[in-house]
Formats: sequence, C-alpha cells, structure tokens
Amino acid sequence: MFNLSYRYDQTAARLMVEGLPDISAGHGQGVIGILSSWKLQFVGSPELEGKREHLEAMLATVLPYARYLLSGVARPFGDADSPVSLAPADNGGHQLELRSSKPGVSPLTIALDDAELADLVRCLDAMRLDSRVQIAWADQRDRPLARRELAERVPLMKRLAPSVMGGSALLVVALLSALVPLPESKQPKQEVVPTESAESPGNAAQPVPKAE
Amino acid sequence: MTDAIAPPVLSAASGEAIAVVNTALDRRGLERLDLLLLTVEALAINGGEVMLWATQQLGYESLFPNRVELWKRRCTNPLRRSTRRTALTGEEIEALIRVICAMADRLYPMLHQLLWSREPSALQDQRWAKFDQRLRDLIGERMNLRRGSVQRLLETESSSPVQRQMVITLALAAGAGGVDRLRASLQDPTP
Repeated sequence: MFNLSYRYDQTAARLMVEGLPDISAGHGQGVIGILSSWKLQFVGSPELEGKREHLEAMLATVLPYARYLLSGVARPFGDADSPVSLAPADNGGHQLELRSSKPGVSPLTIALDDAELADLVRCLDAMRLDSRVQIAWADQRDRPLARRELAERVPLMKRLAPSVMGGSALLVVALLSALVPLPESKQPKQEVVPTESAESPGNAAQPVPKAE
Repeated sequence: MTDAIAPPVLSAASGEAIAVVNTALDRRGLERLDLLLLTVEALAINGGEVMLWATQQLGYESLFPNRVELWKRRCTNPLRRSTRRTALTGEEIEALIRVICAMADRLYPMLHQLLWSREPSALQDQRWAKFDQRLRDLIGERMNLRRGSVQRLLETESSSPVQRQMVITLALAAGAGGVDRLRASLQDPTP
C-alpha cells in the first residue's frame, strides 16, 4: 500500500502529513487514517518533524493560543513537560518551544511573528478539517472566554493599581490622623459653694469645702 | 443589551446545513462586529461593493438583497452616527460573521504583509499609515464622534493597538477554522 502525503502551504509555513488509510475504519483510498509522520517548515527555521502525539500536542497548544489571542489575551499554553509550548515573547511576537522525547536533546525554540503564527494556524486548521485526513483529534471546540480569563489581558499592575492606590491612601490618612494630638478632655469642675453655717438645717447634702 | 438567538439551522452557500447552536451578541460584540467590517472596508479597495458581492457569493441575497439593507444591519452598532434600535437576528449575525471571514480570507495576503515583521520597517510604516488613514476616514464619516470609545479609536496613542488587534483578529479568522474562532470571540462577555 502506498504512503499518502498531503501538504498545506502558506507564505511562511508549510505542513506536510504522511500516513495510510485505516482499512479497519473503512477508509477509502486517498484518506489518511493512520498518521506515520509530519513535517513543519518555517521560512528561515529548521524543519520540524514528529509523530502523531507531537502533532496532537501542537494542535492542543497552538489553536487555543490563537483563540485567546483573538480575544486580546496573550497567555502561555503548554507547560515545561509538554512536547510543545507557545508563549508570548517580550518583543511582541510568540515563542514556540518544542521538546524532544529523546533524552539529552535540548528544546528547540522558534521565534514567530504574528504573520507566521497566523500561517501556522491556517496550516493546522486546513489539515484538521481536511476530509482526506480522518484522524480523531482531541476536541478543539471554540468557546467564549470567562470574564476572569478576559481580565488577564489587563496587565497585573494595572489591575491591582486601584486597590493599591486606595489602600495606600487609607494608610496615609490613618497615619496622619494618628499624628494629630488629641484634644484635652475637660472634666466638669465641681462647684464649691461655701456654707455659712454647718449646723443650718437642710444643708446635710451640700458638699463640704476641702481644707486648703 | 441587544441579544438575538439564531434558528437552529442556517443554510450555507454550498447548500449544506450548518448547525448553529446559539449566535447571540451583546452590545460589545455588535460594536466589534461592525468595527471588523469597517476594518475590512479600510483594507479592500471599493470595500463596500466587494462586501456586497461576498454576501451574494455566500448565498445571503435574501438577508442582504442590496447595499442599503446591508448598511441598515450594520447600523445596529450603538457607536454609529445613525444607529438603529432594531436588533439583529441570529441568522443575520451568523451571516455577517461569515462575510467577515470570507473577506479576511480574500484579504489574507494583505493582512500577512501588515503583520510580517521581516519586511523593511519603512515599508511597514508606510502600509500601516495608509491603513490608519483610511480607517480614520471611515470612522470619522460613520461613527458618532461624541462617544468616548469612538474618540479613543481616533486618538493616535490608543488607536494603534486597537488597529493591530483588528488586523490580527482578521488574520486568525481567515481560513477553515476561522468562523468558529471569531464567533466564540465575539460572544465573549464584557469584562
């Protein structure tokens, strides 16, 4: 049986998949049901290749990244153990990192700009939605983001600024008010009414003057 | 809030039935939808006519039989100078999303050029300046300039990131999976 090969070309990216029809799944001739290998080439970058699980990891990383970017949220996808990770770069681009499953091979990092990322997304979309490639990929359903996720597009400092400013202002006011001296409390003085005669009747309840 | 629910099934140009679960947009989604159409117009020469042609190519003549009907639907954006209170139906929203994606697909080489960082910066600046001017003219002509969010679109400092985001959105909405991605993005809640 012949190995089938399909290619998806964009200006800066080219994806090629190779495989065979899965006869047990009833695939006809010309349909890839078993992926044997894939290759990805960016202009000016080394060619990447791998097996099905690497392409699945690529799909699971790049497509959600693009979905979030469409909503203005640039956040990394894929952790340090994942074969593929994609994160926003400091220069405004994107950093694609690929880790080999072979021990001792250092990760390969490719810097992508927005155009190259869009090309990669188009290649992956074209491949996964191609009727000639019938592979059960993991579900990549796009959904609206949650409010909490959308808040991430505002930088942390900007998000925290109102709370920090409010807390600082409260602290300053509290400190300043602590420095202001308290007014002296004035106790009402007891009026001393001098009595002319201690024996006079009805004066028993009156205060007795203190001896000076 | 302007919400609209789509019927469960929408006819596509190819004749195949496309299941639409729920296409409803809030106010912010409608604003973004119209701004994307305006961006397409700024990028395409004779954009209004090309957009109408695209609606016919996609089989939406019954929804948008002529330029005036298309213009009326776009005026549901609350930021428009002459805004209409009639809510868009889910079918109309879905059709407009597909028109944007079809146009983005046609304009993809131009979008790619704008986003391609390996070109000389002088050439890039020239392209962005041209696009910026055309988008500003369209915003000034059609939008309510008394609204704060419209004024921010015209301020030099704040307009540049918004314009870039619009171009990136169109680039990622072009292609096979673009419609689902753009629809989900427009349905984001207001943060």
